[in-house]
Amino acid sequence: MGSGPRPGETEHVTSLDLPRPPLLRRVFGPLAARDFRAEYLWLWLAAPLTLFSLLSFLVVLALGLWLTPVLLGFLVLAGAVFYARGLGAAHRGLAKGLLGVSVPTPRRPELKPGLWSWVKARVGDPAGWRAAGYLLLRLPLTLAGLFTVFVATLYSLAATPYSFLWFPLGERRLPVFAIDADSWAGALAWSASGLLVLVALPRVTHAFVALDRLLIVGLLGERELTERVRDLEASRATAVEDAALRLRRIERDLHDGAQAQLVALAMKLGLAKDELADADLPQVKDLVTAAHTNAKQALTELRDLARGIHPAALDAGLDVALATLVATSGIDARVAVDLPRRPPPSLETIVYFSAAELLTNAAKHGGTTLVVVTEERDVLWLRVRDSGRGGARIVPGGGLAGVAERLRTVDGELTVTSPPGGPTEVTARVPLPR
Amino acid sequence: MRIVIAEDSTILRQGLVELLTFRGHEVLAAVKDADALRDAITAHTPDVSIVDIRMPPTHTDEGLRAAIALRRELPGCAILLFSQYVETKYAAQLLADRAGGVGYLLKDRVAEVSDFLDALRRVSEGETVLDPEVVSQLFSATRQTDALGALTPREREVLGLMAEGRSNSAIAAELFLSAGSVEKYVTSIFGKLGLPPSEGDNRRVLAVLRYLDS
Repeated sequence: MGSGPRPGETEHVTSLDLPRPPLLRRVFGPLAARDFRAEYLWLWLAAPLTLFSLLSFLVVLALGLWLTPVLLGFLVLAGAVFYARGLGAAHRGLAKGLLGVSVPTPRRPELKPGLWSWVKARVGDPAGWRAAGYLLLRLPLTLAGLFTVFVATLYSLAATPYSFLWFPLGERRLPVFAIDADSWAGALAWSASGLLVLVALPRVTHAFVALDRLLIVGLLGERELTERVRDLEASRATAVEDAALRLRRIERDLHDGAQAQLVALAMKLGLAKDELADADLPQVKDLVTAAHTNAKQALTELRDLARGIHPAALDAGLDVALATLVATSGIDARVAVDLPRRPPPSLETIVYFSAAELLTNAAKHGGTTLVVVTEERDVLWLRVRDSGRGGARIVPGGGLAGVAERLRTVDGELTVTSPPGGPTEVTARVPLPR
Repeated sequence: MRIVIAEDSTILRQGLVELLTFRGHEVLAAVKDADALRDAITAHTPDVSIVDIRMPPTHTDEGLRAAIALRRELPGCAILLFSQYVETKYAAQLLADRAGGVGYLLKDRVAEVSDFLDALRRVSEGETVLDPEVVSQLFSATRQTDALGALTPREREVLGLMAEGRSNSAIAAELFLSAGSVEKYVTSIFGKLGLPPSEGDNRRVLAVLRYLDS
């Protein structure tokens, strides 16, 4: 191969412009590559591992099935699936070490206290059964792969040097593969075929390992969609909870920090104002009075801001918070909260702000608003009903859409029933943790 | 006045001590939490205590709970609750013993030093003082209730000022009325709320409580 670009190829030169490796390295390079050594080793090591794994698993499984008439059998069965899970982990570890295939560990089944719950969870552990399936599918593959590679290795080792061995060998033949040639040209052909097999060996190995990788990713790694969904749900719940906690902390920091400072400032300015009342310093008096007014204004604004971040009344529960909200907003509304237990703080916050938005909306419609919060079978219902003129609907970017979006972060839903002429009933449905 | 302060924010605690001392009052103790408050009140028997609602450890309503417990234990112990926010439910719990000598003010009120000291004095003398914001919350919360429906707008105004702890003469000055007509409104309010005249001054507190209960 030429090392320089040919006339028609100049525009294909990439910015990297890697020099082409010499032919010899391109053909024989893979034989010396670390990847090949690792894959080759994998075929040799993983084959006995799989064979042993599958056989031992089948023995334990059979024992468990045989014992099922006795309750002990289920325990053994659970042990077998647990064992399969461990075998999967061993394969996964080896694959990671040698092949660099990194697959996430399957989720642990949810373990509840009690031996029977443990057995149920373990027997039903999908990761264990998939690991067993992996072993079953992999066994023929690994045996075929190992056999092919073994034969190819042996053949290339024997045939390649045959043309050199041809001279000293008395009988002109090798004890394997019936390698036999009458002429040196024939011996050369054997050598060429050996060399060909040797060159092909890394590619063949790679092909088998590629199949193996698919199996590993498919059965030992890729989790079922439901598990993934459960994972995402859990992480999202953590995120939502975390956000609520953080807002609460910000509010508390404001309360302990800026608000306290401002109250102290306003107090001192108030004192200064009082003390100056009899003094003949009109400009100073005006300044202090203005500063006093500003401080009080700032306090009010800061209080409203803190309330918007996390209403302190929520600490006492949704009923207190919603009653306070209605009282301070001046909206004509009645609130009825009937919850047998307190929802998690994050849900309380979301329900509170949803109710606040719905109340503001309802106030625009006119008439008395009724806010009802109840729990039915692990679902929290927030119903806001007004006797206004109706015709409300969820429009993108509108207040109701904002509430629907807020609720979606906790798998909640918003439905609006608002026939022309009213009444309007907006219902939020929020699933509660069991 | 001889005063005990319970406030967990250092800057506010010190500010209050400075303010009260400056105005010639005696601060017997300035503490950080509800337990220390109990000890201080038992040790010093102050004329009045200023208590922050949010205190350690949970920073929710420790002060309120401590105040309710203390008043049950030591009847007549005057307490002014101090809060960054006002909540009608807190006020209702605080007033539930119907004994007077109790106040519930927004912390902002301390900015108007004279008004604040006046409120503190009234609480120490056994009156009930509610923050104007609590009162307005009560009114909006009960706007639709039947008890209120019977009152005229003027009577509501008078009742609002009563709930803030104002005397009849103060209400008269505020509303530009004569003391006699305020007296008439008050009597009319008591009548509409069904409060018998025999209960004397305590009726003022009871009138406010009617709203808290509704």
